Amino acid sequence: MTRQIINIGVLWLLLISLVSCEKKIKINVPMSKEELVVEASINQLSINFNYVILSKTLDYFNPSLNLAAVSGAEVYITEGDIIGVDTIFDIVNRFQFIDYVDTIFPGIYLSPDFRGTANKPYKLEVFLKDGRSITGTTFIPKPKTIDSLNFWFEPTEKDTNVFFYMNWMDGPEQDNYRLTLRNGFIPILTGWGYGSRFYTFDDSQINNQPRPFFNFSPYKYNDTLHIYLATIGRKEFLFWDSFRSAAGNGGPFATPVSVKSNVTGAIGSFTGYGLTQRSVIFRKE
Amino acid sequence: MHLKPQYIIVILLFIYGGLTHEIYGQNISIYGYVQDSINGETLIGATVKNKESTVGTVTNNYGYFSLSVPSNTLQIICSYVGYQSKTIDIKKSKLKGLQIALVPQNREVKEVVINSERLDKNVRSTEMSRIEMSGEKLKSLPVIFGEPDVLKAITLMPGIKSGGEASTGFYVRGGGPDQNLILMDEAVVYNPSHLFGFLSVFNSDAVKGIEVIKGGMPANYGGRLSSILNVSMREGNNQNFKYSGGIGLISSRLTAEGPIEKGKSSFLISGRRTYIDVLAKPFIPEDLSGNSYYFYDLNLKLNFILGQKDRLFVSGYFGRDILDFKSPTNRAVNFNLGWGNSTATLRWNHVFNPKLFSNTSVVFNRYELFNDFKFGSGGFSVRSGLVDWNLKSDFTWFAHEKHMVKYGFNYTFHTFTPGILSGNVGRTSINEEINKQFAHEYALYFLDEWNVNQRWSLNYGLRAVAFQLVGPYTQQNFDNNTGLPDGGSKQYTAGQTIAFYPRLEPRFNANYLINEVSSIKASYTQTYQFLHLATTSGAQFPLDLWVPSSRLIKPQMARQYAIGYFRNLKQNTYETSAEIYYKPMRNQIEFKPGANLFFNQNLENEMIFGEGLSYGLELFLRKKEGKFNGWVGYTWSRTTRQFDELNNGKAYFYRYDRTHDFSLLLSYQISKKWASNFVFVYGTGNATTLPDSRYAYRFGIDPQTGEPLFVFVDRYSDVNSYRMPAYHRADVSFTYLSKQTKKFESSWNFSIYNIYNRANPYFIYFLPDVQTQTVKAYMVYLFPILPSVQWNFKF
Repeated sequence: MTRQIINIGVLWLLLISLVSCEKKIKINVPMSKEELVVEASINQLSINFNYVILSKTLDYFNPSLNLAAVSGAEVYITEGDIIGVDTIFDIVNRFQFIDYVDTIFPGIYLSPDFRGTANKPYKLEVFLKDGRSITGTTFIPKPKTIDSLNFWFEPTEKDTNVFFYMNWMDGPEQDNYRLTLRNGFIPILTGWGYGSRFYTFDDSQINNQPRPFFNFSPYKYNDTLHIYLATIGRKEFLFWDSFRSAAGNGGPFATPVSVKSNVTGAIGSFTGYGLTQRSVIFRKE
Repeated sequence: MHLKPQYIIVILLFIYGGLTHEIYGQNISIYGYVQDSINGETLIGATVKNKESTVGTVTNNYGYFSLSVPSNTLQIICSYVGYQSKTIDIKKSKLKGLQIALVPQNREVKEVVINSERLDKNVRSTEMSRIEMSGEKLKSLPVIFGEPDVLKAITLMPGIKSGGEASTGFYVRGGGPDQNLILMDEAVVYNPSHLFGFLSVFNSDAVKGIEVIKGGMPANYGGRLSSILNVSMREGNNQNFKYSGGIGLISSRLTAEGPIEKGKSSFLISGRRTYIDVLAKPFIPEDLSGNSYYFYDLNLKLNFILGQKDRLFVSGYFGRDILDFKSPTNRAVNFNLGWGNSTATLRWNHVFNPKLFSNTSVVFNRYELFNDFKFGSGGFSVRSGLVDWNLKSDFTWFAHEKHMVKYGFNYTFHTFTPGILSGNVGRTSINEEINKQFAHEYALYFLDEWNVNQRWSLNYGLRAVAFQLVGPYTQQNFDNNTGLPDGGSKQYTAGQTIAFYPRLEPRFNANYLINEVSSIKASYTQTYQFLHLATTSGAQFPLDLWVPSSRLIKPQMARQYAIGYFRNLKQNTYETSAEIYYKPMRNQIEFKPGANLFFNQNLENEMIFGEGLSYGLELFLRKKEGKFNGWVGYTWSRTTRQFDELNNGKAYFYRYDRTHDFSLLLSYQISKKWASNFVFVYGTGNATTLPDSRYAYRFGIDPQTGEPLFVFVDRYSDVNSYRMPAYHRADVSFTYLSKQTKKFESSWNFSIYNIYNRANPYFIYFLPDVQTQTVKAYMVYLFPILPSVQWNFKF
């Protein structure tokens, strides 16, 4: 569905681009109130995707294109248990995330000991020196298994376009997904931002049957594709879905979009990923 | 039941008006039709007067009139701007019903006709906030791409604002684009745009005239809050076969018309098609071949005079926009999008007696969007749309020389199809349908145009409306926090009421004639709107959906108070007016920021409801006749919206709020062969929301370069607190009559749009500049100076 809208948008923009011109203008916008921003990610599969990134908002025309990192905070993630209808967080399962690489990449908090577990709840706590704090909870859903993955070449086999098709079983329960694709070099510590294509979707159209996915924009012969398929909770989905709109905002029909944060005390999200990873090289054996 | 004062006033006026008309003396009724002597087209708004007094009337939308005159009246005179006046001897005529054929004046006089109104109508009639334009005038205005356009033309009128150059949406006194009722021969046009809003669906060859009512709406109109745009299509020449057309830069038109039975019946068929796809073909790279866009439309009208008392009209419209897209990287991927309106109208005019005229119409109307997407092993299609069946009957009772009463009813059955999705991806099939919705819409009205005395005249009425959303329908319950069904639902059987909104709409217009050339008018209008356009953009887009009022979505409501001073100068050569209006609006609808409107089972959850307010002053000066004519209009206005969920609950400027709006239209007949038009428009920049801060998100590190990776996300505070640069431009057009004989006529229209090449803002976007480590703002503008040419012919 989204792709349809994108296609219409692309064609419409093509039309506009044929008749439009542009020029640089000067705009004065008032100073804004600074807010904290948190990007917290945990999963059950890879420590590369367990991190908390703290930053803050910048005035729009602030002459900096870097992350406005916030260092020196105390950051904790606690694993909990669900007992009946209650969720219990025990301090003995609390892990501190520390900004080990602050001199190189400030604002990134990591914990070498932390491992996420599927079907477990987690609590995020951040305490800043100035007294501000951030809290949030998430849950790592059970990951899906990619049942099949096929690819084909068009129109010839060498130096040409490659399309792939995969599917997994979407169960009867309500599922939400984030899918990230990256071709090329396998990263050691990259973060989700190293992905090259991002998809956020739920099962409102296809539920309780094999869930297909295939790419419309082709890859090239011999490309290595890394597929990160993650199940996420509903409020995390709502955040990433709104993020998709907010990050891609612009144009004449755009409306200002604010993300639907699932944490208090900051803009952003604490997301637990039930992660599945597959890699494939697009060439004939 | 407690009646509000406005209802009591209307009822008392009707009782009093009915009682008083008995006291007048014995009169006779003169009635009939007024038409063009050359082609038999009826003339709307022609004046018919008792020659010995000032008492007169004007022909209605079907060219019919009925005039009550003293029994000793000898002559009446019929006149229409652009035609030779005609005197009819009453004693000699049999008074069975007149067919008055007016002879057009020669072309150079006709060319400068700016409208077809009675000369002192501006001062004498109770109407205010109403403007008309002939189809002929429409074609002579400066245009983009050589394509005359109704919706672009009306935005030159004061109080009507354009949505922008790439939009046919228009905004009347603070209302949204969906708050305008657009009628084409009485059929509602739900999406009036072609080419993603660049052009409208109205083919200028088939347009007889347009009328815009932006306030003081009489009780026979309803259904929208802000305005009525009434587009009348031509009936066709019932005397001779004629062909006409035009060739523009992006499209051509061809019209054929003629008698089926001479003088008794006629047909008109008019078609238009773009050739953007054909023209662009040589320039499209090979890998993009197969992509095309085009639109076409077809108007058909049949007109039968069945006798003195009956006339029958059949009219239809069929238009489509088609977009074909083939992926340049994967030829198996094919995308096809189409949308369009289809309407069919059957109208029956019946004269019961000289004093009672009726029109009964059956209207079918469909707007549909279809979208097919194919990709090798799979594909899916999406269908959405809206179908209306409408029956309406309007009666005009020329009760007395001082009273003209109109009454009637209007019933519409709506079927809303928000979305049907079907297809397959590999072995997985997709079949989903958003529940269809069904609704009945009823209206019953009466109004009385009452000339109380030499100074006072009133037009008052009451419109009773009701909207009933009915089953079959399954109302799913959704959790507002997650947007997911909570498992609960309520089943409505066929015909069972889901929501019912009965409402009363009092209407009141008064005119106090200060003297022969000046008057003061006042109006009060209350309107409700039961259909709402689901769009997050300011313009209408093919994917936008019309949604009905429901249990959650209450009807939109507006009240409008207006008062104006009207004065004509130099024997009605110049019209001037000053109007002040105040228009509060309730239950206005907006969508939550980032709302997903496409294929959303829970669209209601994406809506928020608030209030609106618009007020302003409109000044207007128009020279109606002479070689040099035109108008100048200025509007000062303020329009705000207030929603609890937006802007921290504070009122904010509506996107199309324009403090100052100025328009100038000058027409000059240079010679017998040459005519020219000049247009200048100025408007305060649109209010828009700009980000005031940003943050980096979706962090990653490129392991090969060590560079951090993230995207910037904009953060917004105040809604619409920034003003775009002002919009202004000047256009000029010249029409050259290259040949005019009895059998053939051709003319060229040369236009220059935006003659001083103003860069008018379309939208603003921002780009980070890594070199300078700054964010830069860019303004996109659409049309620089743009010459165009169009050739029109008739034979």
